[in-house]
Amino acid sequence: MDEFTVIETRDLNLWYGKKHALIDISVKIPKNRVTALIGPSGCGKSTLLRCCNRMNDLIDSSRITGNVLFNGEDIYDGHADAYAVREKIGMVFQKPNPFPKNIYENVAYGPRIHGVGDKRKLDRIVEESLKGAALWDEVKDRLYEPALSLSGGQQQRLCIARTLAVGPEVILMDEPCSALDPIATAKIEDLIIRLARDYTVVIVTHNMQQAARASDYTGFMYLGRLVEFDKTTKIFEDPGEELTENYITGRFG
Amino acid sequence: MKKEQAAPVPFQGFGRPGVGTDPTSAGAKRQLVDRIVGKLLFFVALFAIVTVFFIIVFLIRDGYQIVLETGLWNFLAGQDWNPAGQNPAYGVLPLIVGTILVTALAMAIAIPLSIGSAVFIAEIAAARTKAAIKPAIELLAGIPSVVYGFFGLILLTDWIRIAFDQPSGSSWLAGSILLAVMAIPTITSVAEDAISSVPREFREGSLALGATRWQTVRNVVVPGALPGISAAIILGMGRAIGETMAVLMVTGNAAVIPDPITDVFSPVRTLTGTLGIEMGEVAFGSTHYHALFGVAVVLLFITLAINSASRIVISRIQGPQGTARPTAHRALVAAASRIAHAVSAPFGGVVSPRTSQRCAFFLISLSVVIVLAALGMILFGIVVNGAGAISWEFLTGSPRDLGRAGGIFPAIVGTFYLVGGGLAIALPLGIATAIYLIEYTAETPLTRSIRAAVDLLNGTPSIVFGLFGFAFLVIFLNFGISLIAGQITLGLMILPTIIRTTEESLRSIPGSLREGSYALGATKWQTISRVVLPPALPGILTGAILSIGRAAGETAPIMFTAAIFSSRYLPSSLSEPVMALPYHLFVLTTSVPGASVQSYGTALVLLLLVLVIYLAAILIRRRYNRAKVM
Amino acid sequence: MTGKSLSGTTAVAVAGILVAFLMAAGCLGGQSSDTPGSQQITVTGSTTVLPIAEKAREAFEESHASTGIMVSGGGSSVGVKAAGEGTADIGTSSRDLKPEETAGYPDLVKHHIADDAILLIVNPGNAVDRLALDEVRGIYNGTYTNWNQVGGPDAQIVVVGRDSASGTREFFSEYVLKNEDFVKTQEEFNSNGGIQQKISQTPGAIGYVGLGYTEGVKALALDVNGTAVEPTLEKITSKQYPISRPLFMLTNGEPDGLARQYLDFVMSGEGQQIVASLDYIPVQG
Repeated sequence: MDEFTVIETRDLNLWYGKKHALIDISVKIPKNRVTALIGPSGCGKSTLLRCCNRMNDLIDSSRITGNVLFNGEDIYDGHADAYAVREKIGMVFQKPNPFPKNIYENVAYGPRIHGVGDKRKLDRIVEESLKGAALWDEVKDRLYEPALSLSGGQQQRLCIARTLAVGPEVILMDEPCSALDPIATAKIEDLIIRLARDYTVVIVTHNMQQAARASDYTGFMYLGRLVEFDKTTKIFEDPGEELTENYITGRFG
Repeated sequence: MKKEQAAPVPFQGFGRPGVGTDPTSAGAKRQLVDRIVGKLLFFVALFAIVTVFFIIVFLIRDGYQIVLETGLWNFLAGQDWNPAGQNPAYGVLPLIVGTILVTALAMAIAIPLSIGSAVFIAEIAAARTKAAIKPAIELLAGIPSVVYGFFGLILLTDWIRIAFDQPSGSSWLAGSILLAVMAIPTITSVAEDAISSVPREFREGSLALGATRWQTVRNVVVPGALPGISAAIILGMGRAIGETMAVLMVTGNAAVIPDPITDVFSPVRTLTGTLGIEMGEVAFGSTHYHALFGVAVVLLFITLAINSASRIVISRIQGPQGTARPTAHRALVAAASRIAHAVSAPFGGVVSPRTSQRCAFFLISLSVVIVLAALGMILFGIVVNGAGAISWEFLTGSPRDLGRAGGIFPAIVGTFYLVGGGLAIALPLGIATAIYLIEYTAETPLTRSIRAAVDLLNGTPSIVFGLFGFAFLVIFLNFGISLIAGQITLGLMILPTIIRTTEESLRSIPGSLREGSYALGATKWQTISRVVLPPALPGILTGAILSIGRAAGETAPIMFTAAIFSSRYLPSSLSEPVMALPYHLFVLTTSVPGASVQSYGTALVLLLLVLVIYLAAILIRRRYNRAKVM
Repeated sequence: MTGKSLSGTTAVAVAGILVAFLMAAGCLGGQSSDTPGSQQITVTGSTTVLPIAEKAREAFEESHASTGIMVSGGGSSVGVKAAGEGTADIGTSSRDLKPEETAGYPDLVKHHIADDAILLIVNPGNAVDRLALDEVRGIYNGTYTNWNQVGGPDAQIVVVGRDSASGTREFFSEYVLKNEDFVKTQEEFNSNGGIQQKISQTPGAIGYVGLGYTEGVKALALDVNGTAVEPTLEKITSKQYPISRPLFMLTNGEPDGLARQYLDFVMSGEGQQIVASLDYIPVQG
């Protein structure tokens, strides 16, 4: 693993109230690759994901020790700005959550809040982002219709476009296909692979075929610990831990 | 192009201001804005909350004086209310009994009629009938109480005197009938919502077993909707207890406990009526003055009891289905279903289900007819008698000859000033407070107690706000009877409503939208102002408009704080008093002989004004609901 | 049109309504174009004095084009306090000052502007025409409950009176009832008009009101030493009719400016004519 690391956690521990949700996580996320996090429900993979762009800040009872480094800088440093962190590290959620605005405004929202006001520049960002999310051809004639009129898969790609529009380096995806049908899922998987040319993608998934198909690296988590982290091919063909093998072969979980 | 998004400025760290990922200083600026807005909201919320607590403490402080002067027991259990006697007596027992009796009988009249109407609208009426009746009944909830009182004074008391051959028609019965008519729209509307929200599967399950529609309604639908129906009843009861002007005009106001206690033709006096009658003339700081504050505190406690009851009932509704419920609630449900069975028994055992259904539906339809007839009669009377008074001069002129001639223009404008001012005070305060409570604080015992205080004030009778405005603004702060005192009083009165409806609106915005915005790097204030507030706006506006309607029709809060009987000019500063439609109507009806044409005309104008406002609210809500479905 | 844009339009419309309301509140100064120029005074207090103050204002402003006089009610106690504290230029009261009020506002000047007789009124259908003061007291303290006890038909007496904070009631209580307690079943109204309305509708009722409220009701004559005295203007002015009380306008110190002019007008021949036309008793001329 000699790739360039973009996000690194060191001895990361997290508690929700009294519940110890993440235990001593140390991992290096390689740049411009797709990394999948797998594991049974409640193992902490979504929590780990949310630590990477400080979304856990929004949960009052959460408490954290250890470090999360982004390009070598600690994002939990006292001086660090959570908003700027999230601008660089975007996130796509389990259920598509477009804003109740039209399609154009959904994508333009991010650039606007970061100070882009010029209409032509916005137009360009919206178009590029929608193209980047493989949605442009489907919506270019109805940019001003409500985002909620799109199908579930289109809504999720809109959410990805919305994230791209801000110009992130990393895109975190929290089970982005769990609410979608197989065809929409396939489109998103293709998209993820394409995105990895320009971005680093971290994806949490329950679907092991998805992890095997779409990711370059895979981490297996269990009960708050990172059991194993390696190249996806290695994890699926020759896992180092018995626990990982049991999970992958469907013996539990 | 991709360059512009994907590989912009090399990463420079998050920390130091201006060096963030934002190449400009916009990042630092928006965070500054975020922090300032957060602080601002905090102080506004703090101010609103302190005000809410201040009102409660202020009333209790002055009300406590009477307990010191007469003793708690003598005050609460004293049989005589005679503040002007040689040996003044300040016993509020007759007033409490009067309030309870009037409210209880009103509920006994209103509950069967309202629930009958609700069942009719939800279960029996054809879609088109429903579409017409439901908004009509909701509109009627907006008729100003002084209009009802006016009607009761002119027609109802006289009818009771003649129909029942009584020496006097001003009575417990008159008050109860009037309050029942006023409470019916509220109860019907909320109960209908509860019945309509019973899942269709329940009905289908029952019908699939061969039950008739009536059997299904009686045994499945109504029991299923019972928590919601209870909430509706409690809401209606709150409105009835808090009503001042209408009861004051028809109950006779004799501070006696009816003898025998079932004598519905006896005059009675309520707590609110006592405040409405006596507050204006009482000497400041006297024992009588303190006694009136004591009355207000008693009202506050009754409101508190009703609030607690409704909170318990509502938490039952929201509680998981099928879990064990407390005995009290189970008893309530059991009793209610036993009553339902008893009522329907005559049709149940002896006759066939088909016949019993026909009888039951007949009774239910009859209740709708009664409700609509009563309300229609009031509207008809006012429109027919009032239309003659409406003329260009009436709408644009100033009153002459004590309102017997001339117009009501200053009163119309005064009402706009009062309502506009109240709104200008309550809207920013209320919305900011709600935003702070929902978006900036976690659910803690502190926020819960704030919410409880807001709820308490929300259910507090408007006359109590009038009392507070008079004692604090007019007298203590020396504003005098003035526009500003009235605006603040009205503003405080609608503040709790605005806080609550805004909170509900904000709560209905899913958290996933907020997360989506944060994940893009938006600050808190950017998220609230651009993602949360826009979709919440229709709900907030509906709440605001309903408050406008309420404020425009209220007499009790302005009669001691802002309203004057007559003025040729419009006020030119906030320290001057104004005319206002509801107060003008009240004075014309009760103090100016020979002005009945002008009374009807004023009632009609006031009615139209308030109904237009309510209609707007209903339309907005309907469009909004339709939009949400899509 | 989609639902979404509909709700957007609606939101704009509603915002418009709200803004209109706010602006109505905002343009207080600008809108009242016929606002008087230099000087304004406020007259506030007793509802009994209100008609005089109001009618006098109407007449006064006809002869003094550009003035601003605000007349409002609120009650005698409000009038005393407002004048004493200076929140109003002139306070009005239908009762004399109470000791604590005299002590609290030593500078108050009383202007006795009129007298008000208190009439006992019954329904026109009632056969009774006259009562002795003792009988009135008996009715109001609960001794007599049927009209046949005072020479009328067999019908229950419905006793109607003013609220306990009223100056009229206070006077009635002192003068007629000798401070005995009112019968507890007395129905209470907070205005003369309310009582008049009630009596005109109710055959068995009796009430007391000021002189101006006799439409649709019958005013009783009072027995004074065996002779019936009708409440005519003449007999009231000459004090033969026994129940009348003074009405006051109050100023904090001697009035000046517009307040002075207005008070002078009320006391002038024209002003006292207005007093008489409203069925109060003039104190001059």
